[in-house]
Amino acid sequence: MPHRTIPALAAALALCLVSAVRGADIFPYEVHETKLENGLKVVVIPFDSPGIVAYHTIVRTGSRDEVEAGHSGFAHFFEHMMFRGTERYSEDDYNDALKRMGADSNAFTSDDRTQYYIVGPSRELETMMDIESDRFRNLEYGEDVFRREALAVLGEYNKNISNPFLPMYERMRELAFDRHTYRHTTMGYLADIRAMPGYYDYSLSFFDRFYRPENCVLLIVGDAEPEATFEMAARYYGEWQPGYEAPSIEAETPQVEPEEATIEWPGPIRPHLMIGYHAPAFSDTTTATAGLDLLGQLLFSESADLYQKLVVEEQWVDFVNGSYSDHRDPYLFTIYTRVKSEENVPKVLQAIEEHIAAAQAEPVDADRLERIKSHMRYQFALGLDSAASVAFTLSGYLSMTGDPESVNRVYAQYQAVTAADIQRIAGEVFQPERRTLVRLIHPTTGAAGGS
Amino acid sequence: MRKVLFVPFLIAALLTSGCAPKTPQSAIEVVELPSADSPLIAVELMFRVGSIHDPAGKEGLAALTGLMLGQAGTAQKTYKEIIDALYPMASSFEVGTSREVTVLRGEVHRERLDEYTALLEEVVLEPGFSEDDFRRNKEELEAYLTNTLRAASDELLGLEAIQDVIFAGHPYGHAPQGTVQGLASITLDDVREFHRQHYTQVNLMLGVAGGYSPSWLEGLEERLASLPEGTPSTLELPPPPTVEGREFTLIDKPTDSVGIHFGYPLPITRADADYYPLMIANSFLGEHRTFHGRLMQQLRGERGLNYGDYSYIEHWPNPPFTSTPNPAVPRRQQYFSVWIRPVVPSTAHFALRAALHEVDRLANEGMTQEEFEITREFLRNYSKLWAQSLATRLGFLMDSRFYGMEYYIDEIDRHMAEVTLEQVNAAARRYLSADAFRAVFVTADAEQVAAALRADEPSPMEYNAPPSEEVLAADETIEARLVEPSSVSVVPVAEMFEN
Repeated sequence: MPHRTIPALAAALALCLVSAVRGADIFPYEVHETKLENGLKVVVIPFDSPGIVAYHTIVRTGSRDEVEAGHSGFAHFFEHMMFRGTERYSEDDYNDALKRMGADSNAFTSDDRTQYYIVGPSRELETMMDIESDRFRNLEYGEDVFRREALAVLGEYNKNISNPFLPMYERMRELAFDRHTYRHTTMGYLADIRAMPGYYDYSLSFFDRFYRPENCVLLIVGDAEPEATFEMAARYYGEWQPGYEAPSIEAETPQVEPEEATIEWPGPIRPHLMIGYHAPAFSDTTTATAGLDLLGQLLFSESADLYQKLVVEEQWVDFVNGSYSDHRDPYLFTIYTRVKSEENVPKVLQAIEEHIAAAQAEPVDADRLERIKSHMRYQFALGLDSAASVAFTLSGYLSMTGDPESVNRVYAQYQAVTAADIQRIAGEVFQPERRTLVRLIHPTTGAAGGS
Repeated sequence: MRKVLFVPFLIAALLTSGCAPKTPQSAIEVVELPSADSPLIAVELMFRVGSIHDPAGKEGLAALTGLMLGQAGTAQKTYKEIIDALYPMASSFEVGTSREVTVLRGEVHRERLDEYTALLEEVVLEPGFSEDDFRRNKEELEAYLTNTLRAASDELLGLEAIQDVIFAGHPYGHAPQGTVQGLASITLDDVREFHRQHYTQVNLMLGVAGGYSPSWLEGLEERLASLPEGTPSTLELPPPPTVEGREFTLIDKPTDSVGIHFGYPLPITRADADYYPLMIANSFLGEHRTFHGRLMQQLRGERGLNYGDYSYIEHWPNPPFTSTPNPAVPRRQQYFSVWIRPVVPSTAHFALRAALHEVDRLANEGMTQEEFEITREFLRNYSKLWAQSLATRLGFLMDSRFYGMEYYIDEIDRHMAEVTLEQVNAAARRYLSADAFRAVFVTADAEQVAAALRADEPSPMEYNAPPSEEVLAADETIEARLVEPSSVSVVPVAEMFEN
């Protein structure tokens, strides 16, 4: 069982945060990593959280893997099923074990991953490993339980759909993607959710294909000793059989003309705008991802000229944000804003276009670029304040590449990005024909309340 | 000043310095949580002024005044200049007004502490009160009421509405963000006057945590002492409304599902000994965002009614998705509530009855020894996860000062060690009730829902998969349970938070 240890920058954990801001590697903690013979990667990060450990299982399958028609939302639904017990530990046994240890435990699904976490007492690490390895290897549920859980997913959809973001996001993806599975949201289409109770057999095959050791990463952060944890992982997960079947995901064809849609909201509401531009996949070896992140800061952070104009000076919008979120395949740079009145919508769209055009026409000045990079470094350091937050931070990178070193490589890319890179990326990404615009309005009243 | 240097035993291992700084003369209460090796510093300024201090007809004034500090320029700098100064250090001034307090807080890396401190002092001591900032912040509050609560989140709407309904006619009875009409009537002069009256030394609790030096704290306190000393903004709260019968408020809006909340005021807070046995009973009934609460197991797990079902003996101050409670929202009066997340309309009546059934069952039958022991152990461990970061530890510590008690997280542990099953079951009997409550439904077709509630006919369930015999047997009782509403009123969503 080979493993490697990435050397720490300093011995004292707390002091490492200082070097996070100034040193070569951004991630300030010792990373211990091994791979079991069945392909399961295990990452252990000792962190100064006496008595507490964060235990994450990252399945590198999300709604991106939902390639079969009519099964949108299934990765997320399956996340629910993972809490329904095994022959050895029933659902009640599993919940009782978590309750006894006083754990904060849950799971979430996104486009590219399904992630399960437990934060709890480090003295219970072996119990965590026992119940988690058991359900990942031996999940078992009946069709009645399966059908019932589908209703909980419908309930989740119902709670989310009262927020304009979800219907806009659904429409945006449908327009921007023709082939790739990013065409649907992680939540899935309502029609597919309603059909879920009939897909019991499909759910069994889903588990069989995707919940395999070589498609997963185990991440343990906190009061844990690496060697003993590796040994324990080998004992509990060693018998888990490999057999991951990577789905065949169609590549998206380039968007050749702008897309636009309008959603009518049933109640009075201010106009919402969502704009998506096609953007490249996550990369820790090129400036593509880092450049997009810096571009997002340049255009849409609170200190950006555009934000200042729209929110602070003209006060045309309640909020505006824009960012690229890491994705394994080419995805979207997404802009989202709520406009205070319908007559301001054209001015807002024009201002966004003008500021994008400015980023394409002129390189950002050196002082501004350095301020953005400083922000990114300090934001990272301030975010690492608990075992739970360290685990969440690192898990995003693990879901992209499976390699904890990705975090350091991305932050090295932030440092390497030049003003010319950002200008070039702005030119490549913000092309009018690759834009999708979704508006949400209330047709009879326009804006709700206020000016 | 009144100074507290605090070392909770659970985090004593993290602390390396226990030296109190020299005490300058001020009326500011200072709370310290030093951790010399930490590269971060958390600062929290808690002013004892909240929405309970809003003058009648100017609801929202406390929140707007808070925003005019935390989201605005100063006498010297525009808001943009403040943002630009904070941006390279990735720090901010987070401001929040609740019923009782306004909190301004932030975190900074110690490399940038001096710059941050200078900005913080400027923001607190020399607010700019510009017309542009005033207009923007006022519109932000108004938009929260009209476009977020009314229009864009049924769950946030229900969570705010249940408080307003339970505390109707009481100083807690309006949202901290105010009302649409109240905000409209507020002038910039009102803000200036409110600030002059309440932003004083005696109303301020200053909390600091992390790797700061005593001299830094001394300097900060000395400069904050240029606030007027003032007189305490203490407001004697009237007793909470007496809830008799079962009063329903149906908020009518276009929506596909029905969100349900019910509750009533509680005569105790975390400062009372009875709170801790009740905490065990409540956790057993419906610990927020866990799968092991009885409400969750019965309504979602056994019946697939919705996504989640929880109960509370304190106000839940966080966005719905967060799992553990946040500090910095202390209150002198609390309430019990049950939150049934959106259900499909055809099951709303049954879901309400099922939740009432579970509240009754716990109050009448209590917990078993085993249930008690597991839940007690759960809370002893789980509560330690609530304060993992510097800022949350500091926040819970300052809240404890507000309540006049020892560090809350330690107090949970201490009480859990001593509490008995008899105390828990007695607390459940005494404080939990399905007989008298106020309820909020967020629903479409509210008149039809109101008619169904008034008719009180049985509401049998139809399942997509057969539940257990035990569940079916319980359903016979639940579906025919008489709710017997004492009042049912329908409020169009456009009228919510109006005045």
